[in-house]
Amino acid sequence: MDPAARLGPAQIDVVAQLAVSTLLLGGIYALIAVGLTLIFGIMRVVNFAHGEFLMLGMYLAFFAFTLRGVDPYLVLIIAIPIFYLVGLFVYVLVMRGVIHASHNVQIFTTVGLSTALQNIALVMWTGDFRIIRPWESSVVLRAAGTAFNLAQVVAFAVAVALTVALMAFMKWTHTGRVMRATAQDRDAATLMGIDTDRVYRLTFAIGIACVGAAGVLVSPLYAAYPQAGLQFVTLAYVVVVLGGLGDMAGAMLGSLIVAAVEVGGSYIFGAAWKEVFYFLLFIGVLVFRPAGLLGQRGAETLGA
Amino acid sequence: MSRLAPDRWAAVAMFAVAALTPLVVRDAFLLDSVILILLWGALSAAWNVAGGYAGQVSLGHAAFFGIGAYAAALMSARYAQSPWLGLAVGVALSVVAGALIGYLSNRLKGPYFALSTIAFAEVLKIVASRWRGFTSGSEGVPVPYRPGFWTLGLGHVAWLYLILVVAVGCYALQVYLERSRVGYQLAGVREDEDAAEALGIATRRRKVQAIVVSAAMTSACGSLWAQYVGFVDPSHVFSIDLSVRFALNSIIGGIGTALGPFLGSLLITSLETSGVEASFTGIYLIIYGVVLILIVRFAPDGLTGIAGRFWAWRARAHA
Repeated sequence: MDPAARLGPAQIDVVAQLAVSTLLLGGIYALIAVGLTLIFGIMRVVNFAHGEFLMLGMYLAFFAFTLRGVDPYLVLIIAIPIFYLVGLFVYVLVMRGVIHASHNVQIFTTVGLSTALQNIALVMWTGDFRIIRPWESSVVLRAAGTAFNLAQVVAFAVAVALTVALMAFMKWTHTGRVMRATAQDRDAATLMGIDTDRVYRLTFAIGIACVGAAGVLVSPLYAAYPQAGLQFVTLAYVVVVLGGLGDMAGAMLGSLIVAAVEVGGSYIFGAAWKEVFYFLLFIGVLVFRPAGLLGQRGAETLGA
Repeated sequence: MSRLAPDRWAAVAMFAVAALTPLVVRDAFLLDSVILILLWGALSAAWNVAGGYAGQVSLGHAAFFGIGAYAAALMSARYAQSPWLGLAVGVALSVVAGALIGYLSNRLKGPYFALSTIAFAEVLKIVASRWRGFTSGSEGVPVPYRPGFWTLGLGHVAWLYLILVVAVGCYALQVYLERSRVGYQLAGVREDEDAAEALGIATRRRKVQAIVVSAAMTSACGSLWAQYVGFVDPSHVFSIDLSVRFALNSIIGGIGTALGPFLGSLLITSLETSGVEASFTGIYLIIYGVVLILIVRFAPDGLTGIAGRFWAWRARAHA
């Protein structure tokens, strides 16, 4: 997996390689985190089932590739609308009823959803690790003393494109403005004639579409199994809290920081301990700056 | 009037049935089910002290469970000492860990608090799976079986009475919280922290205390669990699934009530041991998830809440 290990140290410029790895990893993390932060920012719900939709995306790519021979990047074209619909469906079925409920109800609703989805995957597709190797994963690119694989680059490029498109959508379209208005003040938005239920439905569907797309993108790089979402989603929580829950630009920054910690930590202390660093970072941020690096101070004590 | 409330009667009946079971049947499978129902009930009661009574909803209680399990397992497997000593060490460590988590996460509410507790449990999971020299890493620690009370190598009947004592202890502590000054103060913190603070309740200290007590109870039960089951591995004892399970029993039974965790455990644990699991791996976890969603949505006060409403309705009908 790690190109550096395969090529040996002589051909690799360590600093440049670490920087490139950070950037590539950060782009993918951003796409996972941006859906989570969008859902939190507008609906005020932490989606504890976020990772399970990622896992479903990975399985979708796996089955499309092994059963039909479809390349993961083509799957992406249908994955986005599929997960958008899945998001709509889950919102109507599960989330709509608890949108105005207390935090505890919301937490346990999404936790229950996560448990159910994980185990539906386990029952249907067993606990085996499923990995696909499309041609992109075996192409190594080299530039300026660094080496990386094509699948990583494509995943990064698509992830960044989708994230930027989403940010542009939020900033410049009417619907995006409506969504931001709802995020700022639910009641005022309702009074202005905004259909908040439609906004939440849209938000949840877009968030799930993002993470489903991310699942498809990472499928050539990581194995799919029922708990595959967990490793990414804990990381996405770190990203999102770092950037400030609900802050999309913050999520981009947070992704790069987490990726840097992960890449740097694995290089210096070995891959086995990398997760410890971002969790310690997470705890540090929660304790000292819970509203995130860019967020407004005090949001966390309102519990909102 | 000194009549016991219906939920107290239900608890007494439940513990009495558990105590009488070994006198009637000697079937190892049935005794095992009763032991697990009581143990999971006690663990959920421990969670309930922080999550239910004090409103500090944690999704990281597996951290304390894991500390207790590892302390007991390592003490008997690695140092050939009594697991009781391990239990004591585990409780001491969990008190420190609980105080640390409680203190550091004191300002955090709702999802932020839940996320920070998850992070603590994850850190411990990684440490336990990577620190191979001490914990044997992800291979886990098999606990040697040495017969005797001091080494906790007990038969099913002895285990049942030991766990019953623990369960009754956990129940009694919850009843204390429902009737004492501290319990009312915790309820105040849960319902409206600012108002509680304004009334002169030391809210921050009370929250930390609730977490510490809850952590100590969870750790002690974790130690007993390790000795009973005989095997500890990091990906299970520190898992978020386990943390969810503690909460799940309480929520299904009735969060913030003394009977709730045991009632939830009775339902969930017997579902699990009844053999549904044997036919399909994971099927009972799907049911867990769905039941959790339905309960928090339609009956957030759980089974005891439903029973309470039914009781009140019947009392009115008879009056």
